[in-house]
Amino acid sequence: MNACIDRYGALVWTIARRFLKQSPEAEDLVQEVFTEIWKKAASFDPDLAAEATFIGLIARRRSIDFLRRQGRLPAFEELAAAEALPLPNTKNSSLRADPEAMKSSLALLPEDTRRLFQLFFENGYTHPEIAAQTGLPLGTVKTRLRRGIVFLRDQLSRTHSLSS
Amino acid sequence: MNASESPIRHEELSAGRALGDLSHEEARELFLLENDLAASHDFALDLIVGGLSAHFLKDVLETPPAAVISRLHQYATVSEGALASRPLAREKIITFPSFLRSPLLGWAAAAALLIFTVSQFQSTAEPSPIQALSALRQEATGLFERPFQATAAYPKSSGQVTWSDAKQQGYMTLSGLPPNDPAIAQYQLWIVDPKRDEAPIDGGVFNIPAASSPVIVPIVAKLALSHPQAFVITLEQPGGVVKSKQEFVVALAKN
Repeated sequence: MNACIDRYGALVWTIARRFLKQSPEAEDLVQEVFTEIWKKAASFDPDLAAEATFIGLIARRRSIDFLRRQGRLPAFEELAAAEALPLPNTKNSSLRADPEAMKSSLALLPEDTRRLFQLFFENGYTHPEIAAQTGLPLGTVKTRLRRGIVFLRDQLSRTHSLSS
Repeated sequence: MNASESPIRHEELSAGRALGDLSHEEARELFLLENDLAASHDFALDLIVGGLSAHFLKDVLETPPAAVISRLHQYATVSEGALASRPLAREKIITFPSFLRSPLLGWAAAAALLIFTVSQFQSTAEPSPIQALSALRQEATGLFERPFQATAAYPKSSGQVTWSDAKQQGYMTLSGLPPNDPAIAQYQLWIVDPKRDEAPIDGGVFNIPAASSPVIVPIVAKLALSHPQAFVITLEQPGGVVKSKQEFVVALAKN
C-alpha cells in the first residue's frame, strides 16, 4: 500500500486537482481514492489493464462521486446501484486497455477529437470551457468525446481479438 | 427514436456515463434504454476513460503536498491489519447541523454558536453532545480546556478539549480532520494522567464522517481520571488498540 502511494500518489492527486481545481477538499478526496483502491485491489487483473488505468478509473469515479455528493454534479438516483458495481469481470473482457494499445488506437482518431481529449483529460476543462476554447457548439463537444470513447473501445476490441 | 437507433444512443449515453458528463435527463434516458434493451453497462468504456486519464496526465503530473503523502502513509500503515476482524468499540458522535457546516466556519466560530445550536435540538431524555457540552461548561468548575495542536501531517486540523474531573465527563470539538473510512482506520483518543496510570488511558475511538466539520465527540474514558495532563488523538486500526504505539499522532492538547 505504501508503494502504491509512492508510485501513484501524483496521478491520483493530479486527477483530484483536475476535478476540484484549487479546493483544499482535494486532499480529502485523495484519501478517499486510495481507500477505494485498497478495497478494490483484489479485483485488479494485469491481463485486463495496466495499473495506471485501474488507478485512473477509480480516481475518476471517486472524483465524480465526490462532486455529486457536494451537489456540484447531477445526482443520478437510477444509477446509484450501478455506481456500486464491481470492476469489470476480466473473464468476460473483450479488450485489454494497456498503454501501448491505447496510444496506437488514439492515433487513429481524427486530430480534432484527440485535441478534445487532451483538453478534457489533460487540462481538466469542462465541456463549456472546451466549447469556448475551440469554438465548437457544446453539443458537438459532448458527442465527439463520447463517440471517441466508443471508437477506442471498438478499436481496442479489434486489436485484442487479432492478438488473441 | 426508432428501434435501430436505440443501441447507438445507448452506447453514446454509456460513454457519457463513463465520462461522467450525463445530465439528469440523459441519466434517466440511459436507465430506460438499459431496461428496454436488457443491456448492462459496458465497463470497457470505464477502463478506456481510466486509461486515457493516465495517458494524458503522465507528462503533467503534479506533486502532492508532503502533508498529504505523509497522512496517506499513516493511513496505509494502520490499515495493514484492517482485514483482521475486530469488534468496533462503542462510539458516539454528532455533527453540527448542515447550515453550520462551512469551510469558512472554523471550530472556534462554531463553538461560539453552541448556545444557539442547543436551541435547535428537541429535548430528549438523553441530552445531545452539544447540549451536554454546553451544560458541562455552565455547571462545572475547574474545567480542563485546552486547544488541540495538530501535527505536521494534519495542518488543517484544529479543535478543543473540555474535561471535568468532578463530573468525569468531557468532549472534543474538532474541525478539519480528514474523514476516515472505519473499515480502514479510526481515530482514537488517549488521555495522559500520570497520577492515575503511567500508560496513556484509552479515551475511545471515533470517526470523522465525510463533509462534517466541525464535530463534537464525547470522551469515553475507560478509567476514572484524576488529573489529566494531556489529550492525544492518534490514528489506529479499526476498533482501536489497547495500547497505542503513538506512532501516528494527529493532534495533542496539553496542560
